[in-house]
Amino acid sequence: MSVLEKVRPERPATEARERRVTDEHGRRIRAGELAWRYLLLLAVLALTIGPFLWQLSTSLKGPTEDIYSSPPRFLPEHPTLHNYARVADTIPVWDYALNSLKVATANVVTNCVGSALAGYALARLRYRGRGAATLVFVLAMLVPVEGIIIAQFTTMRELGLNNTLIGVVLPGAVGALNVLLMRNAFRNLPYEIEEAAYVDGANVWQRFWRIGLPSVKGTLAVVAIFAFMGAWDDFLWPLIVLSDPSKFTLTIGLNYLHGTFANDERLVAAGTVIAVAPLIALFACLQRYFFRGVGEGAVKG
Amino acid sequence: MAAPLRIRRQLPLSPWLFAAPGLLITGAFVLYPFVSTLVNSFTDRRTLVPGRFVGLANFRELLHDDMFWTGLRNSFLYVLGVVPALVVLPLLLALLVHKNIPGITFFRSAFYTPVVASIVVVGLIWVWLLDERGLINALLEAIGIGRIGFLSDQWLLLLSAMAVTVWKGLGYYMIIYLAALANVPRELHEAAAVDGAGPVRRFLSVTVPAVRSTMVLVAALSSVAAFKVFSEVYLMAGPSGGPAGEDTTLVMLVQRTGTGLTGRVGYASALSVVVFVVTVALMLLVLRADRKEES
Amino acid sequence: MPISRRSLAAAALALVLPLSACGSGGDDGGPTDASGKVEGDITFQTWNLRANFKPYFEDLIADFEHTYPGTHVKWIDQPAEGYPDKLSADAAGGTLPDVVNVSPDLVAPLARAGLALDLDKAAGTYRSEYLPGAWASHRIPGMKGTYAFPWYLNTGPLFYNKALFEKAGLDPEQPPKTYDDLFSDALRMAEKSDGKVATLANVPTIEDFGRYGVPLMNRQGTAFTFNSAKGVELLTRYKELYDAKALDPQALTATPESAGKKFLTGAVAMNPGSALDLGNFKKNAPSLYRNIGITDQITSTGHVNMYVMGVMVNSRTRHTPAAVAFAHFVTDARHQMSFAKKVAIFPSTAGSLDDPYFTKEDGTDETRVRVAAAKSLKNAVNYTPVLFSDQMKTALRNEVAKALQGRQSPEEALDNAVNAADRLLRQG
Repeated sequence: MSVLEKVRPERPATEARERRVTDEHGRRIRAGELAWRYLLLLAVLALTIGPFLWQLSTSLKGPTEDIYSSPPRFLPEHPTLHNYARVADTIPVWDYALNSLKVATANVVTNCVGSALAGYALARLRYRGRGAATLVFVLAMLVPVEGIIIAQFTTMRELGLNNTLIGVVLPGAVGALNVLLMRNAFRNLPYEIEEAAYVDGANVWQRFWRIGLPSVKGTLAVVAIFAFMGAWDDFLWPLIVLSDPSKFTLTIGLNYLHGTFANDERLVAAGTVIAVAPLIALFACLQRYFFRGVGEGAVKG
Repeated sequence: MAAPLRIRRQLPLSPWLFAAPGLLITGAFVLYPFVSTLVNSFTDRRTLVPGRFVGLANFRELLHDDMFWTGLRNSFLYVLGVVPALVVLPLLLALLVHKNIPGITFFRSAFYTPVVASIVVVGLIWVWLLDERGLINALLEAIGIGRIGFLSDQWLLLLSAMAVTVWKGLGYYMIIYLAALANVPRELHEAAAVDGAGPVRRFLSVTVPAVRSTMVLVAALSSVAAFKVFSEVYLMAGPSGGPAGEDTTLVMLVQRTGTGLTGRVGYASALSVVVFVVTVALMLLVLRADRKEES
Repeated sequence: MPISRRSLAAAALALVLPLSACGSGGDDGGPTDASGKVEGDITFQTWNLRANFKPYFEDLIADFEHTYPGTHVKWIDQPAEGYPDKLSADAAGGTLPDVVNVSPDLVAPLARAGLALDLDKAAGTYRSEYLPGAWASHRIPGMKGTYAFPWYLNTGPLFYNKALFEKAGLDPEQPPKTYDDLFSDALRMAEKSDGKVATLANVPTIEDFGRYGVPLMNRQGTAFTFNSAKGVELLTRYKELYDAKALDPQALTATPESAGKKFLTGAVAMNPGSALDLGNFKKNAPSLYRNIGITDQITSTGHVNMYVMGVMVNSRTRHTPAAVAFAHFVTDARHQMSFAKKVAIFPSTAGSLDDPYFTKEDGTDETRVRVAAAKSLKNAVNYTPVLFSDQMKTALRNEVAKALQGRQSPEEALDNAVNAADRLLRQG
């Protein structure tokens, strides 16, 4: 970490009587600056997670509470988990969540492997057609997906993979954007180390595995998270590919909640919380590695 | 930019092996379907009716379709409204959470939450918040501004959708900037600090140049995404695109004309092709602006 | 990059060939004759019914498999959203299930593509078991035949908020009965509440034009006619309401769901609904429930609007006898009756509506709504033409919105909408 940390939008007004505290690196941070930072952080915090808390509050409101009352009540009067129990009664939440987990995990693996390999090839290797290969991924990123979904389905059916979880994963298995992110990460690495390894007789695979990959862990973590979210949140494609309800993912399953015969805001809110909570929990557990990864990749660069 | 690695005597096959999985998937599930879209754009194909070749008829029809021009306008407005915000705000946010002060990991994760949630969930939440009797209007009324029809006025709807896009994108681009910021050599900052440069000047003269390539990347990514915007506007303005369809974006039009059992696949394909061409042009524009600035 | 350009061209060529080959699939798969032995494995697809009625369908299927040994029914259920997309992908990809839950507007394109079995031919003997109007609702103008068994029907009353009526000085026990009453009450409501309370939350849709007595299509089903003087009259009156804020200012962007919410929050005084909504009011807006008023749908024709669900048979099924037998089994009087007792819908089978369940009141609101709806269903009409596609609905909606905003006259709006719809109809 560096002096960069002192970059801040505004200089605190309390500079005159500054009380000095130190951060974990032993560097001094002015109390005024700290206050400003936390104030800003809290403001952004309210903006980013406030809406989710409102949804959570709705999901905890009991059946006797008027959820449309105006002005709205922030906290449930009689907090209850009843709505969650009803969601679980209505749809097999656990089965759907398991399917989602399978799809998302597979998507993470394929994206990390596929885009790291392709990104390395695009960034570090020299061969005829490299430009063309890069162009393929750039163009793929620009294709409007909404227009090609039926064609994708037809292809999948010809492969006999419709109505399988593999069919859900395959089209997004190596995202073009992820490939380009990995390519950029590899490109930012200094060449000298790799050249040294080359002189030592390391082959392409060894250079990729031992030198390239460990240096881009941060970007790899970013790709992993993106891939997980993307698969977990997707609705239209899994819906089109899958027919068998026992294979449905959570996003499709939760859609049963705002159906023709069940129109209860609390249930819908509970459903959205169920859809988001695992991701938030997962991210909360992994964020340490995620952000450390982001930092690590950079320290070496 | 760095020079290519000066290592030549490698098997010519291995780069292709490395790129193969990515190329195969992309080719089979993105480019192949897109080429069929290209072919369809010259036909009058419908969802359940095979098409005949009609030449440029679909493209000619576009020119006389008011909805097409509305969609083009809105998609461009979306780029203009969203891209500057998504290039600058996440950078400031990244600077805010870059420093390791106590509790910062919590804030970083919390700021990332909107990215995590599916757009459908986000849409549901915001429609309810922005409703005429929703939370935000209740608060506005309490402080004496009065209720605002965010979801009934054509322009406010578009602005609200943009706000949601920015809200959801903040954390995403913040991460990209965080990774880039960690790359900024500290010597640069120290030198600048020694020179007595203030924070704003250091930001402009050290940070911005150091993350410039990332800013270009973010600009390119966000402008492509903004031009192809669908979900936010669809969820907030409804399937028919707001009052009198005035908030319809190009991709919404692709979806509306091309899907369902009565979809006009040929015409929607022509629209898709236009979307594709414009995004390619946008991308080139951003990259060219970058190059010009660099020289 | 010469290489990539060349290879792209080659790829494009390779693609055109299979593309032109597929798409124009052959007409017939399995036999159209339903008289063979009822046996084989079939798939049955419903539209968002699993969450609430899983036991009902499991029993139904077990019952069928027991009645016809040698059959096996696989039940799949799709969520509410994206159903047309799901059907189109399956229809285009040749993976349509054997027996499919559809609505009339979904049947039309499937039938035109030759994917729906003509039941007049394959199951004509069952025709007399259903209400004539319900059977006819899956006929398609310009085609011979009927393409789905009628399943459940729904209709409902108009709900109104008595408290809001009283506040506006209107008699809460005298809700509007005619369009004239409705429009004058609405204007009064807006005036008294200073534009804060609207009476209607939705712009007029095709079914509203129908209910107002506007002829929607010519007799041959080749052109739309809702731009007649009567249609213009309805839209002109809606424009007056909109200007006076008697039609909710957010109506231009409203969905049935958002309109329902407006009614729940007391921002709108009236809303069409069904017996299902009563439970919803009770749960979500207890204060509204205490003030709920229930009145009949307003029509100029004497026929209320009804919604029809159907069950069609895939014409390419490999087990036509079993598929037809099962579709009939699902929709026969006995099973429709037991389904109707599970949820507030109405059977489309002849005579079922004379069951005491639909004729005897017991003093509760639920029963009152049910009895009234059952009575009105006997001559109800599904006003929405089966050929009126989603794209046409959007065109109408947008033109109507422009008229309400005053950007064009009601005449222009309806002329434009009719032109757009006719063009789409010809292309179809």
